[in-house]
Amino acid sequence: MILAALGLAAYFLLPAWAAPPASNYDSLRLYTEALFEVSHKYVWPKEEEDLIYGSLRGMMNSLDPDSSFLTAKEYQDYLLGPPRPSAEAGVDLIVKDGLLTAASVIDGGAAARAGLKPGDHIIKINGQMVRNLTTQEATRRSQGAPNTAVKLQVIRNGEVKPLDLTITLEPLGLSTVTTGYLDNAVAYIRIRYFNNETPGELDSALNNIKQHKPPVKGIILDLRNNARGSMEEAVRSASLFLGNQQILTAKGRSTKTEQSFTGKDRDLIFKTLPPMVVLVDQGTARAAEIIAAALRDQGRATLLGVKTLGLCGLTKAFPLEDGSALMMTVAQCYSPKGDKIPGKGLEPEVPGQKPQAGTEPEKAPAQVKSPEQDPWVQQAKDVLTSGKPKPAPQTGPAS
Amino acid sequence: MARKSWLWGGVALVLGLALGWGLAGPVAVFGQNPVLPGVARSLQPSLSPSPVSDAKLKVFAQALALIEEQYAESKTTKDLVYGAIQGTLGTLDPHSAFMTPEEFRELQIETKGQFSGIGIEIALKDRVLTVVSPIEGTPAYQAGMKPGDQILKINGNPTKNTTLMEAVKMIRGPKGSKVTITINREGFQQPKDIVITREIIPIRSVKARILDDGIGYVRVTHFQDKTENDLQGYLKKMKQRLVPFKGLILDLRNDPGGLLEQAVRVSDEFLKSGLIVYTEGRNRNQNMRFFARAGQEDKVTNVPMVVIINEGSASASEIVAGALKDQKRALIVGVKSFGKGSVQTIIPLEDGSALRLTTALYFTPSGVTINEKGINPDVVVADKPLAADKSLQKLRDELLSQHMRGEGLTDKPWNQPITPEELDKDPQLKKAVELLRNWPPKNLAQQP
Repeated sequence: MILAALGLAAYFLLPAWAAPPASNYDSLRLYTEALFEVSHKYVWPKEEEDLIYGSLRGMMNSLDPDSSFLTAKEYQDYLLGPPRPSAEAGVDLIVKDGLLTAASVIDGGAAARAGLKPGDHIIKINGQMVRNLTTQEATRRSQGAPNTAVKLQVIRNGEVKPLDLTITLEPLGLSTVTTGYLDNAVAYIRIRYFNNETPGELDSALNNIKQHKPPVKGIILDLRNNARGSMEEAVRSASLFLGNQQILTAKGRSTKTEQSFTGKDRDLIFKTLPPMVVLVDQGTARAAEIIAAALRDQGRATLLGVKTLGLCGLTKAFPLEDGSALMMTVAQCYSPKGDKIPGKGLEPEVPGQKPQAGTEPEKAPAQVKSPEQDPWVQQAKDVLTSGKPKPAPQTGPAS
Repeated sequence: MARKSWLWGGVALVLGLALGWGLAGPVAVFGQNPVLPGVARSLQPSLSPSPVSDAKLKVFAQALALIEEQYAESKTTKDLVYGAIQGTLGTLDPHSAFMTPEEFRELQIETKGQFSGIGIEIALKDRVLTVVSPIEGTPAYQAGMKPGDQILKINGNPTKNTTLMEAVKMIRGPKGSKVTITINREGFQQPKDIVITREIIPIRSVKARILDDGIGYVRVTHFQDKTENDLQGYLKKMKQRLVPFKGLILDLRNDPGGLLEQAVRVSDEFLKSGLIVYTEGRNRNQNMRFFARAGQEDKVTNVPMVVIINEGSASASEIVAGALKDQKRALIVGVKSFGKGSVQTIIPLEDGSALRLTTALYFTPSGVTINEKGINPDVVVADKPLAADKSLQKLRDELLSQHMRGEGLTDKPWNQPITPEELDKDPQLKKAVELLRNWPPKNLAQQP
């Protein structure tokens, strides 16, 4: 009976399913079979809505870290527009291996100062297990009024026991971009995260660098541990370096939806861009990944570090008939040369030096040190001043 | 892999070593009658009234259609449905889970207590596929494979970047078929090919040692089809060797559990009569009581006994410890156990995948639920404290190399007496031995 119901529902809702392939039908039967077993035999009775919503959540989470299921209430919150919290923890969350994970922890933010590190898995928020929590909902819980305390329990790779951290929420602070000079010769730009102000801040930072005397020999752009930012912010920022060159292509299911993004000539700051090295790591995602890929593919920068997260796409909300909704990736980012970014990430041409023995391998320094003490920054400076600042030959992402 | 070990404490035993977080994978399994996984009958959905309203199912169908139409890449309905079932099970307790056909097959192998292969335990050591130990008497052992051998190729395929699971799959195969393993060993000029014929390999879940003053030591690593049989074998040998048989230690530390039926049988081995465990579920057919068989002469019911548990003893281990404690048959030594007092039924689905579903709770003879409470020891003895600077990975590596050198307690032959040095390394075992040497324990004998 369920079978019939589901088949029928599918039939009415989607004309393309008028004759579903046999394998689809088998899969649906498998689902109803599983649902039946759980609702009849599980030791504690469950509400049917819980089970179905669990299914929807599981199905969306199996797609990619940006896709998720929203309950009716969560969807209403979403429709109110992006939250403008007065204070937040300063962390970007994704679901990785089924666990809520910090993709990046913003420098100087409350979470960073409480000791949270990129890659940490969050298992409890304020004493509650986070099973089945959407990233949207978890993000909401990491925001609030200034001075609110949020308790997290996290599992860290290499640690035997879970760690308890208390984060005191606070505003993230004003600037997203900071600039410095190494040996008065190489400019160092750090972007903590992207927001609407970032392109403007980057614009003035680059103009200052342009006026620096003596002229800089190169620019280091630090995009490590940076997973926050929209496609639009990325395009506006990349445009400052690239002018009217292509920045990315967004492709969805059909070629009709393919969209190419190009910068504006009037945004260009340097007529001749100094050689650049872009620092990336496993916390580099979204806007930061778009810029890194564009600078690399347009022959403007060498990437240095470790492979990036590989999370970059356009999402869209689709309401369902009971008021809940699907948040779904409808298009994915491709670099100007046609490399797909989501799920693959960018493989840097110059691998970042491994930390000294005794620390975890392949982990970028999470706590941002002063650039002078940061081994990757020094490595980048060497690349820029060694006389071989040209990007290494393209090898493409490792497979 | 990390996630896998959460769900699959037991598999790691076959593949290598389980530690720490690996303990959450206990499986007490029974079906409509207390039997093997795979026997639980799966009712036909179409025969019963729908438990879920059509309206809700319509929402699911709508979502499925939207993904098929709008998601950035095309996805098979099967992948989506697997994700959905996983999500459904994710709303339940942490012991309920969905198993892909591959995971289900692995579970069946684990509970059957045998597989067809060459008989090596392997692990990734410094990212190289490495032999932990060849199991005695197996084709790998006879072919001369040694602990620490690096496996470079399997049937000519390089093992670089293969996962442990993939390697295991390549090494296993039908009985009588051949596999070529290319190994490197310290002292080799160049790698060597070894051709090995696969055979049925028993997975041992019981290991034993003795002490030279009439005390036997038995360690159960998990509960599978052959556990009771193997246990009986050792007990029989001990009865002949240890005269008088002055005491027995049953070590259930880091035993994540296994088949409920085997927990009952193992408990029965030490009890003259009486209740062992009972279960209560939502459906009446899940309510069962299990008793020890009376009048069996060959059981070990009079030898003084100590059971050692720790926070890694779960499920079936807790049934045994609980029964022997409540019946005052044994003293329990160690630290509080894990606290997993629920029974999972394995429900095969039609495409070869399966559900592991919590269908009942079990209670010790005195009516105590173990769920989230655990078994409290009569004599609390802490594990050796963890060095503060040690990461899980380091700890695992150390244990692995210890095992490779054959230095683990149960890496030696059963009839080789445990030395005082070995006892000094293990405070919980040492306490158990002391208690048995001074039996009956004075302070504890009067305990209610």
